[in-house]
Amino acid sequence: MDVSIEKNGAKTLVKLVGRLDTTNADQFQNDIAPLMADAAPDFELDCTDMEYTSSQGLRLFLMLQKTVSSKGGSMVMCNMKPQVKEVFDITGFSNIIKII
Amino acid sequence: MKKRFDPVEGRNIEIIEAVVNSDEVANLSEDCKFKIRLCVEEVEENILGYSGSTWVEVWTEREDNLLTVGFRDGGIQFDPLAEPDPDINAPLENRSIGGLGIFICKQMMDTVDYHFENKCNVFIMKLNVA
Repeated sequence: MDVSIEKNGAKTLVKLVGRLDTTNADQFQNDIAPLMADAAPDFELDCTDMEYTSSQGLRLFLMLQKTVSSKGGSMVMCNMKPQVKEVFDITGFSNIIKII
Repeated sequence: MKKRFDPVEGRNIEIIEAVVNSDEVANLSEDCKFKIRLCVEEVEENILGYSGSTWVEVWTEREDNLLTVGFRDGGIQFDPLAEPDPDINAPLENRSIGGLGIFICKQMMDTVDYHFENKCNVFIMKLNVA
């Protein structure tokens, strides 16, 4: 899983590439930890090339969404592959995270 | 395919790849392989994580269009199917991650079954791959 983070004014673009699984969830958590410090986070997560996520990844997206919501920020996940979207759908995560 | 991983610690990806690259799975659709990869990872995390076994035996079988993936370990008895399903309609502030892995398996596979046999945890999941 490769993560690139790009600031564009107030917005933060996070690009996710590869598989997010048990072997790299901790690294992903470290990668996004600095973003949690933003006063009013405005995140766009580009999932075009995210091939896979297990519940280990869902745990981190949930944590990120909770942090963003508690600070009155916004977060959106974009261009999710259908198979990955299905994981969000069957777990009800599509109802608590904005996916476009 | 039938393989024993002893010791099992730190071999999550090796186990997933053994299943996904097995003769019974390798030629299936990408959609099937996605589901199998995901559910194998969730079983590893949930069962082996709780049972504390130092080894696991993993096998795949194919009968017509029915694929079976099985796991046997020698850890403490733990039935993941006895745990309550997570409330997937709970609002964000009440959502937790507990139980989500096995819930994913229940949703993605056609059947999942657990039993304790000869002092081993046995977890079997089946998927129609037609």
